[in-house]
Amino acid sequence: MGDIKGMVKERTYDAIVIGSGMSGGWAAKEFTEKGLKTLVLERGRDVKHINDYPTASMYPYEFEHLGEMPLGDKKANPIINKCYAYGEDTAHFFVKDKEHPYIQEKPFDWIRGYQVGGRSLMWARATQRWSDFDYEGPARDGFAIDWPIRYKDMAPWYSHVEKFAGISGDRDGLAQLPDGEFLPPFPLNAVEDYFKKKMHEKYEHRHVISERIAHLSKPNPIHLEQGRGQCLSRDLCARGCPLGGYFCSNSSTIPWAAKTGNLTLRPFSVVHSVIYDEQKNKATGVRVIDTNTKEAIEYYAKVIFVNAGALNSNLLLLNSTSRRFPNGFGNDNGLMGKFVAFHNYSARMSAQYDGLKEFTTIGRNPAGGGYMPRFRNLFKQETNFLRGYAAGFSAYRSSGRQSDGVGISFKENLLNPGIGPWKVGSHMMGETIPKETNFVSLDPLQKDDWGIPLLKISVVYDENDEKMKKDYFEQFTEMFTTAGFTNIQLQDSTQNPGIDVHEMGGIRMGADPKTSLLNKWNQLHACKNVYVTDGACMTSTSTQNPSLTFMALTARAADHAMTQLKRGDL
Amino acid sequence: MERRSAIRNLVVITGGFMLLPSCKNTPGKASVGLKNFKINASQENLLAEIASTIIPATNIAGAKEVGAHLFVLKMVDDMYEKEVQQNFITGLDYLEADAKRQFDQSFANCNADQKQKVLLDIESKKGYSKEVFDFYAIMKQRTIEGYLNSKYVMTNIIKYEFIPSHKYDGYYPVKNL
Repeated sequence: MGDIKGMVKERTYDAIVIGSGMSGGWAAKEFTEKGLKTLVLERGRDVKHINDYPTASMYPYEFEHLGEMPLGDKKANPIINKCYAYGEDTAHFFVKDKEHPYIQEKPFDWIRGYQVGGRSLMWARATQRWSDFDYEGPARDGFAIDWPIRYKDMAPWYSHVEKFAGISGDRDGLAQLPDGEFLPPFPLNAVEDYFKKKMHEKYEHRHVISERIAHLSKPNPIHLEQGRGQCLSRDLCARGCPLGGYFCSNSSTIPWAAKTGNLTLRPFSVVHSVIYDEQKNKATGVRVIDTNTKEAIEYYAKVIFVNAGALNSNLLLLNSTSRRFPNGFGNDNGLMGKFVAFHNYSARMSAQYDGLKEFTTIGRNPAGGGYMPRFRNLFKQETNFLRGYAAGFSAYRSSGRQSDGVGISFKENLLNPGIGPWKVGSHMMGETIPKETNFVSLDPLQKDDWGIPLLKISVVYDENDEKMKKDYFEQFTEMFTTAGFTNIQLQDSTQNPGIDVHEMGGIRMGADPKTSLLNKWNQLHACKNVYVTDGACMTSTSTQNPSLTFMALTARAADHAMTQLKRGDL
Repeated sequence: MERRSAIRNLVVITGGFMLLPSCKNTPGKASVGLKNFKINASQENLLAEIASTIIPATNIAGAKEVGAHLFVLKMVDDMYEKEVQQNFITGLDYLEADAKRQFDQSFANCNADQKQKVLLDIESKKGYSKEVFDFYAIMKQRTIEGYLNSKYVMTNIIKYEFIPSHKYDGYYPVKNL
């Protein structure tokens, strides 16, 4: 409005990417590598690889409370304090409750990281491909809608992102968890291997494999070219890794994009809405609010990638209204914001093993141990609930530290505790079923500092989740008993949805514009030059950690967008 | 710098903890700055004696020498509700009163055996009030935590390694430990 032409030109790019996290970083990399002038908008501050990891090399005693969050912080920020990765060493990467409020219509803990790199800085780094057992899941089992893509569509893109990000893992040859382009795995330990063997003896389809993880166990030239080095098991990943040992936007995709000379990274830029041009039936750009100056600025591009993070992408498009889209950008069927799902992480188990006492572990395993891909309802429906769960499985040799006593002998034990028996643990990662009744919407009255409506989240567990959890406890009790484990403990957590940090959906993909928002290339059915490729696009959740799929979908969609641009179709 | 504060600074530096000294070097006042509750110098001294009884100095420094008792105060100040803080002081005072009743002298002046007996009796829940048990649970847990995470222990005794000197081995023979 009222801009002179030259200034508009300065604010015009080939592509705009909203968000610099896990998926936004990939869009930036793909576009800039192929010569597109790309603007990446990030609502938070910049976080430069290494320079902005202030705690990366701090000793425990250099933290005021040895890393523990003080009571005042817990009271001021009850939601973020529930996140396992939030502590004195990482607090600067997490959004505090008060800074960016949202409305819990139902209790949902929304964990966010507003900075360049987003949550890719603090993620748990587990990376597994989906298979057709996942992509065909909704169609086979009759929930949500059919995915418009299959594994064969995704396989080359999984390879593409794996090679660049660097994924360590074994080639396990499992149809339900396809092998990828792996660097050497972090191996299982004695008891993890023992459990694997026991499961193999008793069950046909219960596999324990090395956790596949985005760490450079042995970097290839492409990783060294990014300036990243080998993971040396510091195991302080969420502080940011000065070695670049694990994948995050900050160490990998963003600097790679910057090196091309085609990237403009604009931090402190919250996107208010996407601009729609009725004549062209296209998005022409975005309205940005500079969070420092509160100035509103428009930026323009031929193609817009929405990678704000699953729920914020919903918020942004719902807030992008026009005469053509009164209910949100591309929301012709009124389904935007609905069918939100997550992963059910509310169950854990632990036990003890008194065998294999001749072995212990030494050093640190950044992969954390083993992974069991879904075995329930895999080949056919076999239980009274839909779908199933993957599970982590890990073993460690406990400490022989005594808690009773005082004095010299107590001190000697404290400093030389020796070792106790092996302890084992497992946690459930359950698929949840997307439903219309699990949704996000905009509050009609309350707004944030930038005049953007607050997000209302209305997402809860259902009966299927409860049945699945019961089954997890039963099956793992049986499996632990089979393995001769003792002192088996069930931990049924009352944690809210969201704390799994795997929220997905709301702008789902599908073949039919009546029942979905995005087509098979992640384009909005109703406006083809807007792509949504973060967690918001997910039609179902499966059990695998989702980031790898977000990355692959993004690279695939970016490739599609560039082909379309070349043809003049966008 | 007068000797007392020189020693205090030495203690704090040895432990490596991020502690603020109290504003005024008034006799009778505790040495560590607290925001949420008050403690006097003799109570602080008593905490040092208890810490020292739990983890005494040998040829390796003990809890008192690394300032673990000051770390305990810091944590009580920042980690707990007001009631817990008050109860901590009450429990500490009760412990002192019980020691005086039993041995006719302050805990600080008891001999090593007497001090150990007091703490071991508390651990076996014998003859003390709930306030004392609650005080001691926090005191012991935080003393151990402060001691093991002190700069002294982490650089001299159980060395903290950012990069482990051993590559991960899940089949490491116990006999090689």
